[in-house]
Amino acid sequence: MTQLTETPNPSTHARKEDHMKRSELMRRGRRIGLVTAALMLAGTGAALAHSAGGGVDVAVEGEPAFSLSPVYHILVAHFPVGLWMTAYLFILIRTFSDAEIAVRLQKAIWPVAALGTLAGFVTYSLGLTIYPLSAITESPLGRNHIMLATWTLSYWTVMSILGYRFRRHLFVGAQRWVTFTLATIGAMVITITGTLGGSLTGTPSLVTKSLGWIGWNVYMTFYLPNWMLVVFFSGAVLLVVIGVVGRRRHA
Amino acid sequence: MRMKYLATSVAIFSSLLVLGWVTHGTGIVKDDPERNIVIPDELTSTLQVKAAFDGEKIYFRYRWPVDRPAIFNDVLVFQDGKWEARGGEALGPNPDFLTEDRVAMMIDDGSVPMFGRYGGYITIGQGLTTFTGTPETDEERTKYLPSTRTDPNKFDTVKPESDLERLRKAGQFIDLWQWRSSRSNPLGLADDGFVAEERGGDAGTGPYTTNFDKATGQPKYMFNPEVAGKTALSIDAVIAGDVGFNDAYYLSAETAVPFDPSLEWKNGDTLPRRFLRPTSGSRGDVVMPKAARWRNGYWDVTLVRDMDTGNTLDDKIFRDGGNYDLAFAVFRNSSTMRWHYVTLPVSLGLEQPAQLVAERIEPGTNPDWKQPWIEIKTFYPGQVTWGRLTDARQHPGADRIAKRVPVAVRHSEEQLALYGVQVEFAKEIKRQWIWTLIASLSLIVGIGININLLMRREEDAK
Repeated sequence: MTQLTETPNPSTHARKEDHMKRSELMRRGRRIGLVTAALMLAGTGAALAHSAGGGVDVAVEGEPAFSLSPVYHILVAHFPVGLWMTAYLFILIRTFSDAEIAVRLQKAIWPVAALGTLAGFVTYSLGLTIYPLSAITESPLGRNHIMLATWTLSYWTVMSILGYRFRRHLFVGAQRWVTFTLATIGAMVITITGTLGGSLTGTPSLVTKSLGWIGWNVYMTFYLPNWMLVVFFSGAVLLVVIGVVGRRRHA
Repeated sequence: MRMKYLATSVAIFSSLLVLGWVTHGTGIVKDDPERNIVIPDELTSTLQVKAAFDGEKIYFRYRWPVDRPAIFNDVLVFQDGKWEARGGEALGPNPDFLTEDRVAMMIDDGSVPMFGRYGGYITIGQGLTTFTGTPETDEERTKYLPSTRTDPNKFDTVKPESDLERLRKAGQFIDLWQWRSSRSNPLGLADDGFVAEERGGDAGTGPYTTNFDKATGQPKYMFNPEVAGKTALSIDAVIAGDVGFNDAYYLSAETAVPFDPSLEWKNGDTLPRRFLRPTSGSRGDVVMPKAARWRNGYWDVTLVRDMDTGNTLDDKIFRDGGNYDLAFAVFRNSSTMRWHYVTLPVSLGLEQPAQLVAERIEPGTNPDWKQPWIEIKTFYPGQVTWGRLTDARQHPGADRIAKRVPVAVRHSEEQLALYGVQVEFAKEIKRQWIWTLIASLSLIVGIGININLLMRREEDAK
């Protein structure tokens, strides 16, 4: 009883609180880890079950020695898409709101985007194991999917770096509109990449058709004429130059 | 101030993306006659079909749009003392309309592996006539069935005659009916052929022969002036489309007399290079109830054949209650060779469930054609070979072909037409795509560096 009335040493109390927090965090981490592992196992089981085609295996001319069923790529692809779109949602909320919840969500933007990028690299790698590169790069839809996936991954890598480096400053003053514009472009490339993936597996969505209405039939390879290639390369150089000059002038 | 740089950068980046969107896909796909590449203006079209049978005969009626009918094929034109051949084969549409319109139908009874799932694609081997890179040969390198080659991808590896006979007896051939607006239609005839080790005509004689004597360098026949009111047509009138169905425009026993070189022939005098004649044997099995006419922008053609011709090595025999696989090709706007519009395979049922159901009619009567048309999408197939489609290094869907997944499950006609065009520019498009990938990546890296340099933290401003 005396212990109960004893005045606690502030430093001991702080350590205890710290310890309790750490324990709670550990418990949460373990729970999340277990749930994630269970989900991954369930997903892998589903993927394996789904990939069992049935029937008689037939030798195919030029078949690669190793290839992975598309289901793994499809399964994993939902993670980066979900994470990036969540990051985009948080960016949207923060762009248009200074409320406490918006500010809290803003703190999650870069971790969510970075996790998405990590999952994106895994998804991209899995995607490359489905078909021989020579074959998938012969298919217009395959080329387009690779192109958009490359854009998405590189773009969100950039976004993740920006998020990590600038965090709350992304939404300071007019910079929030820059963040908003860049993120919206990012959300668009994710959507297009996803719909192309769907088309590639034989399930085109209305988004695929919509792209046709606004000028791109996705069954035609997306490529630029030579002069536009020059413009793009020049544009890249110009952007770097503007960045350097702008920074120097206002250092 | 740094904000202005930021805004300018985002504006440049966004503008470049929009510009890329607007200009993409240009600069490569265009006609290249040097490589036998001519892209049709329209990549898809429509064919309407109906079918009927009475237990003895089977009827097919076809209707398809054609802006201007081509009722001439090749012609002989008198020029400076010589008769010169014009028209017939052409790369793409013949601007002078000297290449006839056609409809063709391939038929199988299930004996040919994969035909019911992939249609005419299985007949497209490597190095066929008019394919890019195929050298010109005296003999036409026609479509063929893969089973007739020791190496299905090599045209020249034809199996020995004994093997071909065995295959033929096992039903490994496709029956091929062809209606030609110039070389068969005027006499109400068609051409009965096959696709096996080659695309050929059945035994017997076809509906036309050549109206040219190589020894004399002159036509063999001219128009009978008592029937036609003249001995020859004028090339200008032919090209202008001023010669029509009500004129004598074809040479046959009824309209022609032997050529008279002593007449005063003048520049521009024109005679059909084909003389039409009755067919005989198995080749003449397919006929028309009456010659077809082009009306209101459409050809409307009916063909009829005995269900059982007795020619089991040439023809697919239709049986009451049977199911069959068909694939069609339409030659329109005065095009020939591979510049046709094809269809995916279509199932036919003789009063059986199928995509195209042939209606039963009373024996000995003609169809009343009251049933609705079946609309079939036709498309330009480009230069897609069976070898390419079944090679996993060139076609991601090769494994699905191996698993016999029908083409229609994965591809629409529009898609196949676009793919067909792109295969004709495969190397160029792939190269440009790789450069586009690099250029666009550089742009993303550029904007990334730019933003990282220009964006500022609040403390930077203090």
